Amino acid sequence: MSLSGSESDSLASRRSKKPKYSKFTQQELPACKPLLTPGIVIGAFSLIGIVFVPIGLASLSASQAVVELVDRYDAECVSANDKVGFIQDTKTDKACTRTITVPKPMKRPIHIYYQLENYYQNHRRYVKSRSDKQLRYKDSAHMIKNCEPEAASEDGAPIVPCGLIAWSLFNDTYAFSVNKKSIEVNKKNIAWDSDKSNKFGSDVYPSNFQKGDLIGGAKLNDKLPLSEQEDLIVWMRTAALPTFRKLYGRIETDIMASDEITVVIQNNYNTYSFGGTKALVLSTTSWIGGKNNFIGVAYVAIGGICLFLAMCFVVLYVVKPRVLGDPSYLSWNKETPDHPN
Amino acid sequence: MASERPLLSTTPGASTPDDAPSPHPPAASLLPPAQPEPPLRADRIAFSVEVPDPFLPSRRGDGPADDPSTLSQREREDGDDESRAVAVGEPSAAFAGNAIRTAKYSVLTFLPRNLFEQFRRLSYVYFLAITVLNQLPQVAVFGRGASVLPLAFVLFVTAVKDAYEDFRRHRSDRMENNRLASVLAPGTADEFQPKRWKHIRVGDVVRVASNETLPADIVLLATSDPTGVAHVQTVNLDGETNLKTRYAKQETQVRFSQNGGVGGVLHCERPNRNIYGFQANLEIDGKRVSLGPSNIVLRGCELKNTTWTIGVVVYAGKETKVMLNSSGAPSKRSRLETQLNRETVILSIMLIGMCTTASVLAGIWLLNHQRELEFTQFFREKDYTTGKNYNYYGVGMQIFITFLMAVIVYQVIIPISLYISMELVRLGQAYFMGADKDLYDESSRSKFQCRALNINEDLGQIRYVFSDKTGTLTENKMEFQCSSIRGVDYSSGKDTGGYSVVVDEHLWTPKMAVKTDPQLANLLRDSGTNEEAKLVLEFFLALAVCNTIVPLILDTRDYKQKLIDYQGESPDEQALAYAAASYGIVLVERTSGYIVIDVLGYRQRFDLLGLHEFDSDRKRMSVIVGCPDKTVKLYVKGADSSIFGITNKSSDLDIVRATEAHLHKYSSLGLRTLVVGMRELSQPEFEEWQLAYGNASTAVLGRGNLLRSVAANVESNIHILGATGIEDKLQDGVPEAIESLRRADIKVWILTGDKQETAISIGYSCKLLTSDMTQIVINNNSKESCRRSLEEALATTKKPRAASIGTLSPALTSESSSITLALIVDGNSLVYILETELQEELFKVATECSVVLCCRVAPLQKAGIVALIKNRTDDMTLAIGDGANDVSMIQMADVGVGISGQEGRQAVMASDFSMGQFRFLVPLLLVHGHWNYQRMAYMILYNFYKNATFVLVLFWYVLYTAFTLTTAITEWSSLLYTVLYTSLPTIAVGILDKDLNKATLLAYPKLYGSGQRDEKYNVNLFVFNMLEALWQSLVVFYLPYFAYRRSTIDMSSLGDLWALAPVIVVNMQLAMDIIRWNWIIHAFVWGTIAATTICLFVIDSIWILPGYGAIFHVMGTGLFWLLLLIIVVTAMVPHFVIKAFTEHFRPSDIQIGREMEKFWNVNHQVNRSEIPLRTFS
Repeated sequence: MSLSGSESDSLASRRSKKPKYSKFTQQELPACKPLLTPGIVIGAFSLIGIVFVPIGLASLSASQAVVELVDRYDAECVSANDKVGFIQDTKTDKACTRTITVPKPMKRPIHIYYQLENYYQNHRRYVKSRSDKQLRYKDSAHMIKNCEPEAASEDGAPIVPCGLIAWSLFNDTYAFSVNKKSIEVNKKNIAWDSDKSNKFGSDVYPSNFQKGDLIGGAKLNDKLPLSEQEDLIVWMRTAALPTFRKLYGRIETDIMASDEITVVIQNNYNTYSFGGTKALVLSTTSWIGGKNNFIGVAYVAIGGICLFLAMCFVVLYVVKPRVLGDPSYLSWNKETPDHPN
Repeated sequence: MASERPLLSTTPGASTPDDAPSPHPPAASLLPPAQPEPPLRADRIAFSVEVPDPFLPSRRGDGPADDPSTLSQREREDGDDESRAVAVGEPSAAFAGNAIRTAKYSVLTFLPRNLFEQFRRLSYVYFLAITVLNQLPQVAVFGRGASVLPLAFVLFVTAVKDAYEDFRRHRSDRMENNRLASVLAPGTADEFQPKRWKHIRVGDVVRVASNETLPADIVLLATSDPTGVAHVQTVNLDGETNLKTRYAKQETQVRFSQNGGVGGVLHCERPNRNIYGFQANLEIDGKRVSLGPSNIVLRGCELKNTTWTIGVVVYAGKETKVMLNSSGAPSKRSRLETQLNRETVILSIMLIGMCTTASVLAGIWLLNHQRELEFTQFFREKDYTTGKNYNYYGVGMQIFITFLMAVIVYQVIIPISLYISMELVRLGQAYFMGADKDLYDESSRSKFQCRALNINEDLGQIRYVFSDKTGTLTENKMEFQCSSIRGVDYSSGKDTGGYSVVVDEHLWTPKMAVKTDPQLANLLRDSGTNEEAKLVLEFFLALAVCNTIVPLILDTRDYKQKLIDYQGESPDEQALAYAAASYGIVLVERTSGYIVIDVLGYRQRFDLLGLHEFDSDRKRMSVIVGCPDKTVKLYVKGADSSIFGITNKSSDLDIVRATEAHLHKYSSLGLRTLVVGMRELSQPEFEEWQLAYGNASTAVLGRGNLLRSVAANVESNIHILGATGIEDKLQDGVPEAIESLRRADIKVWILTGDKQETAISIGYSCKLLTSDMTQIVINNNSKESCRRSLEEALATTKKPRAASIGTLSPALTSESSSITLALIVDGNSLVYILETELQEELFKVATECSVVLCCRVAPLQKAGIVALIKNRTDDMTLAIGDGANDVSMIQMADVGVGISGQEGRQAVMASDFSMGQFRFLVPLLLVHGHWNYQRMAYMILYNFYKNATFVLVLFWYVLYTAFTLTTAITEWSSLLYTVLYTSLPTIAVGILDKDLNKATLLAYPKLYGSGQRDEKYNVNLFVFNMLEALWQSLVVFYLPYFAYRRSTIDMSSLGDLWALAPVIVVNMQLAMDIIRWNWIIHAFVWGTIAATTICLFVIDSIWILPGYGAIFHVMGTGLFWLLLLIIVVTAMVPHFVIKAFTEHFRPSDIQIGREMEKFWNVNHQVNRSEIPLRTFS
């Protein structure tokens, strides 16, 4: 890039005025010049250690307080050898009863999740296959461009909600009873409020949904607007990782230790054809979320390492001290020590 | 007339220039010896008086014939027979009109042409290729809008900038084209009508008044001066402010003034860009008149001191010489940018590697799951409405498509935005360099200028400085000091207050007075009687006559007082003319035909019969004049070698010897020397010369060569009159500047056209040479002897090393050997050395020496010496000069610096940077160069690092998406990451951060070494940065991965964390490396993090995107904040540890300098008395 070399320009700048003095133009703005002095280094490491270890311990204790029950049921609930054939047969009874013993008392609310493994909800084909406009506006039912291969029914009518994500809606259901006494599952408010109020239209009703040759998952109640189909809303917040949980509902009663929970599972969802697993999760919560020791361990570990580093630097600074800013450390002064610069 | 002695001319009016013009060529027919054909004579005078070449006799001593302008002239002489015929007074539409168009675009062509211009940059093509790739439906990664946006943004910004610049050009074009000039109405004799410039055509006859600008290149036909002289200022053309004289031909001048008519047909060469050359002839009234460069006035010049002039347009509009010459400085690439290509290649390999990995893994996944794809809910191979596969083309094709998609996703690892950032940073750096008050020259009122905007950072890596001497190290203000006349040295000058001439009751005083030697002045008064004194008078007459000086008479406040201002293109000639004037030989008037000189109160007229201009082969100039005593004399002045070569040694041997001794003395005082000689021509000699000269000067082909040989023939058998010594003062602060540069391990070589002795003495006075140095002189006249001297020199360079190896450490040896050696090479020897196999030897010797002086070098040799270093080492070279003869060297060197001084602007025009003083080189290199280099180096590495971090985060995620290149981070964040989230702070840091204070850098020049040793940008640092990127990307990705495994986390929420965390991490890395935090840097760093957060908020507030509301949701959880904190800390710990360790235990010099600034200054104030103790201990 060259400056525009027009003659008049160069002449004008040649007879230029003296640049005005200002701290800005002379690059002399007041500035802070932090240096990593021994004090700052040791202080920083110590501070991190002192802050991180307690945070880690607090997180660990919170995580430990969470009671989490995981019951994988995909294998046990299908006795047949041809699991895919079994699950694809619409006529068989797919009910399956599981019994879980509670080791520790669980305070309400107890969250019910289903956990899928090897299920790539983040697959490129999959995440793209949706129409957010259609979900929100009644008039946008035809906005199905991205929904292939589940965009329209065979007669060309648009599917609402279209796309692979909605089509593959999870359709196992769970019925709980504690000590033989059936308890209610609260399936309200399992989706984000923002999704219910703004993302899914309250006047958009399912149509042509799940009418194709291949049934992907759950059917929707045609009478309910999308904004009230919370299972769909939860499902459509696609998971980030291939092993994920989705909120199914909540149990609003406390469960005592050694209580027996009996779950009747309608094992409808096909994860067998691609080797995915299914599990039912019951969990209490804490401020840190679910049961998660990792973050606590990580904090303690990093805090510990920093404390260790602080000590290392103390030793190093003691063993090999250096006067900061001593010109005799300049490389050319070191080569010729008797040559004062 | 005050003259008592009779003037030669008998034409009554000719002696008084203000009279009516003489109808005949003045005095020609009345000359005693010959009766040359009048048109011939007038022509050759007009031609020869002009010395258009910048290589004037006294200026450089040795300007070669290979100067670009001379070259092109030769080319033309040899190979061009095409010409254009212009009928004077008949505008012709066959040639380009005078409308100019500097604007590049019109409204219609703007879009296509501007886009074409922009896409000539390779990086934009890469950008475009990626964007186009993204438009393929199978490959599309980003939405169409999102993918086009960054490219469109960059193109748009550049287009707006170009459009604005073009608009300004349009406006100035319009103004220029609509200016009015008075043009002769066709068919009339002298009726001039106003006409817009754009309507002027070739062949039009134009009348220009004083102080008006010439609308086109015109050949002068007549001027208000009866002898046809016009003065022009060419400041718009080459920046030289002194007036130049141009001449109208006598034929046309007379014809116009007599009957007001113009006519004839002019044949001239094709339009070309040589502003110092012009050849044409005019057929008028059946005669053929030859025209030279002194007859043409170029567009853009201003007419001065001439009431009016009339000329015919020969080149108009875009064919004018100034338009043909309007091109910028040659574009150079900085070394960092070249090195950056190497890293770009490495990154490309990384990119291909990542894409290959992703696509191969994707292929393996597909192979393993091939049979399940139909019933896998998240894949569903088939579209049941058609029954065919949807968007699935088999494993092989999928691998290919995945590869292309991966290229799109990972493209940012090659930071395209870096190029734009670099340009912005350089712009900022250029601003601050220009604004530095320490680079402003008060005396010439010139600011520092960055003319090339792409090599700022090269200033921090210079190892060799090649400096011109005259005008660069010295001021080029010549002052006459002493003279040697007929073997007698007169050097005890005293101030006498100058000398004045009385003319028509006015007192004319030369503008500058020179110290005069009283003995010499007394001797001059006896010149009527004393033979010896007559020769002294001849000496001063030679000084006054043998030049191209034009005396201008300036009014002063006192109407009786007038000032004589000698205008000329050579400062040496000016000095000599002023010197002669101070001794009473005052040049009063010069026209194309005669010179009036006031000789000790008597006015005398000398007819100017011929002038052989200076050229580099002869290295001298001469004039042939008809003297008042009816003799014809040849006066010659030039370099000593050139004059001694043509002297009559038999008669003058003693004088020659004495003069040589004096010359040696002068040049060892650092004076510039010239030798003056004369010869009286006999009648047959004169006739012979006149015939040859007449033929040569009307020749159309090879005129230059013919004139040179005519001159060489007549310049023989010269009597030495004497020699002059002119002082060329050193500029302020030159010795200190050179000392600083040397302490910064920058080798300073001086390349000068001066004599060896002068060069050496200047070397001493600017402290480049010291008495403890061993001088190796190579000054030979044959290849063999050159080879021998070089071998000896090589042996000398090895000697001190061999001797000291036993006693001293190797580090000390090289230092001691390089301190003591100085190499002095002569231009004659270089002829045999450069471009031959001896080059290699010279290189070896020269690099062993700490000082190299090259004297008597020609411009192309200067470039050759620069090339010698540039082609054989990786070291960066800088050439600094001020004159036209430095242009080739300035363009050859990695960095060219022009001094905007006395000698015009060619050097500045060709340079990358220009400034007013040599000593500014020190702050320029040691301070700004150092800053620019470390800033730019850091910025490039940081850009590689930050983009790699982000791309690696994307890459790790792909491993958990069945290798389908999904990004959890929204496409908008992906695209904004390089543009907005991370680029602005690096630009601010690249412009504003300083590792050290100006004062520290100047006090410790050795700190400059970090740039010379590539300490801030090298492959190791690059690898180190990539490893940091790897670690940080792992931290950014895997901490959330493990924390959120088996949780309800959705893609958008995790994506927001993965977008925000790297932005904070890379900005923290930058924050940790910033040295000086002023408020602007604070604003940019923290502001960027805030802006990123706001952008994430905005993106997640768009309900149409899947991530609607995610950031608000995830920020409501404690885990998010815990993760953000631990990510930033964990990512930074290694960098912090390494930084803390190296800064304390392996401190760089810069680090020590920083500590000194922070702690030592305080101590320095308090413990000043203790400092000596410290150094002793």
